[in-house]
Amino acid sequence: MGDPKSGERFPGFDVLAQSDHWDATTRRVVTARLDTGGGRNFFTADEEPVCRALCATLLALDGSPGEPPVFEMIDGRLAEGITDGWHYDDMPADAEAWRRSLAELERRGFRDADDGERRSLIEAVRADRERLAGMPGKRLFDLWMRYACTAYYAHPTAWNEIGFGGPAYPRGYKNLGLDRREPWEVEEAGARDPIPVVERAERPVDPERQRRRAG
Amino acid sequence: MRQFADDEAVDALIVGCGAGGGVLAQRLARRGWKVVVLEAGPFWDPDEDWVSDEAASHHLYWTDPRVIGGTDPVPLGSNNSGRGVGGSTVHYAGYAPRFHPSDFHTYELDGVGADWPIGYEELLPYYEQIEEELPVAGQPWPWGHPHRYPHGPHPVSGSGDLFLRGCSRLGIKALVGPVAITNGVMGNRPHCIYRGFCLQGCKVNAKASTLITHVPDALKHGVEIRDRSMVTRVELDARGRASGVAYIRDGAERRQKASLVVLACYSIETPRLLLNSASRRFPQGLCNDHDLVGRYLMVQGAAQTAGRFEEEVRMYKAPPPEVSSEAFYETDPSKDYKRGFSIQTVSPLPITWSEHIVAQGHWGEPLREYMRDYVHWASLGALCEFLPQPNNRVSLADEKDGNGLPVAHFSYSQCDNDQRLMKQATSVMVDILDAAGAQETVTINRYAHLMGGARMADDETRGVVDRNLRTFAVPNLFICDGSVTPTQGSANPALTIMALASRLADHLVAA
Repeated sequence: MGDPKSGERFPGFDVLAQSDHWDATTRRVVTARLDTGGGRNFFTADEEPVCRALCATLLALDGSPGEPPVFEMIDGRLAEGITDGWHYDDMPADAEAWRRSLAELERRGFRDADDGERRSLIEAVRADRERLAGMPGKRLFDLWMRYACTAYYAHPTAWNEIGFGGPAYPRGYKNLGLDRREPWEVEEAGARDPIPVVERAERPVDPERQRRRAG
Repeated sequence: MRQFADDEAVDALIVGCGAGGGVLAQRLARRGWKVVVLEAGPFWDPDEDWVSDEAASHHLYWTDPRVIGGTDPVPLGSNNSGRGVGGSTVHYAGYAPRFHPSDFHTYELDGVGADWPIGYEELLPYYEQIEEELPVAGQPWPWGHPHRYPHGPHPVSGSGDLFLRGCSRLGIKALVGPVAITNGVMGNRPHCIYRGFCLQGCKVNAKASTLITHVPDALKHGVEIRDRSMVTRVELDARGRASGVAYIRDGAERRQKASLVVLACYSIETPRLLLNSASRRFPQGLCNDHDLVGRYLMVQGAAQTAGRFEEEVRMYKAPPPEVSSEAFYETDPSKDYKRGFSIQTVSPLPITWSEHIVAQGHWGEPLREYMRDYVHWASLGALCEFLPQPNNRVSLADEKDGNGLPVAHFSYSQCDNDQRLMKQATSVMVDILDAAGAQETVTINRYAHLMGGARMADDETRGVVDRNLRTFAVPNLFICDGSVTPTQGSANPALTIMALASRLADHLVAA
């Protein structure tokens, strides 16, 4: 799967082509993620569209074929109660935080807003300039992102996108070290400094972070 | 596995089968004691229960409800608390450094923290035993009390290379190890395959956890480990001695009798169990006459700084624990803070790496773009010795768990010294990555490890347990986990917890 906006970074890399080399338990768990037919078990029919819109904005999803089913993965996790257990004392437990924040986004017309409006609301929540349904913005944003990233970057499509080798038992890795690859790993095409991409989309990056620009 | 009846008063009943409980059970059984261990989580079968996958390793962590607060709340769950036989040693990185001699006297030396009622030399023989038993691999160690390791250092990956390169250019000493991963085949434990999933449970059985290092020997010597057993209270007899515990297994409440009870549930659940064991004699919680249970709980400041390199690093290869430096461990009189920090390679997998990017304020397309750049990044982690403070504590929340018991509220706030220390640690990590040729660096502020909460002291007005880990309030109740330490150093705690357990076994057998 390639990203239409920026070109495929690891051309032809398909982590699933290695699944014969994985142990059976891991293979079962990872391939189960490819099945998007889980239905909706936690969110309500009213919550689904706004939740899908939120996930799309948080992760820049565009519905391309093979894209990780982030909504379904979050829904499944909340339905089964697979949380980290803890919550802040000024926040409700995770499931409640999801429901209350989605209701508030719906009330504010997030579902029908255009991309720019959605992004500016999310950014205000992230920067703690907005509270939603009485919840502190930054904590809510972090909760959304924990769930969204845990779903997206658990998926083999995302591993292909970032060049991650995926499960590695019992085979392991033989070629450790800089600029060394396993025979089945794919050479990167068009590596690029992420800073300019980020600055176009967001804001200038703190100069302290930049040691020297990538060539 | 041997089985004991609930009404048989076993010689020792241990609550929790992690670093402390697993080692103690093995030691006592070898001396002929009848031992039952009650463990809240399952008895793992690494082949069937663990996966080579980040998201599906969630069940290794303690994920029962907990509430966090304070000015710097500490997220729990996946990072710092285990569940099941082996406890946190199942998902720790495997770093196994000793504490330094100075850690036992920080108040005397630096005017901060607390002095332990025991010194380094009293733990030394136990450090040496445990290093052999895990075993620990690494280069000869020059810091603290200089010593060698039974196994030689592992080969390092791109991440480790960059750390060593940066340190070498700056004149900072950094070395390979010490990690509790066999270097070579050892008995039924194969060689490490460098797959990088140490924190998801080592399916290979190369990384030491008490599940594979001490529990098998414990079973061989007659210990019963009763899994999926959540202890709800410690019970006392009319004379004020512990008579056993109440616990829930398969939905039913049961009671196990014992002549001696040891709590080994770590820094949050041990204080919670004591507080939930209030009685007419101990209305504020068991052993809490002096309002010390749950207090002085510590976490290490664990900022991580990553650098972007022109080369492909692919930090997911090789164990995250590879190289470390303790060059900044002790107080530097030229600095505006006391005590210090260590630096280690950390190498997060993709989901954890996304937290580093989100922490920079990136989401949407910028997040995706940084993630596509994953193979170019190497990551270092600091462990900063945050100081023990009375208001950093576990108390009982109003919220109840599935068994109807109040859950733990964990309040945490940093002091000025903590903040200055973490700032300096971050600055050193940036310098190292810079010297190694990093094009960009990003830092995430986070925490690691738990220590304290039921600390040892010379008397009951300053601590919960004495120098032999016996509670001041109940003569046959002991604590054997990380909650007993008065300070935490900037070393990963597992080896010290195991050494304390081994020392406790000698004390109990001699007594």
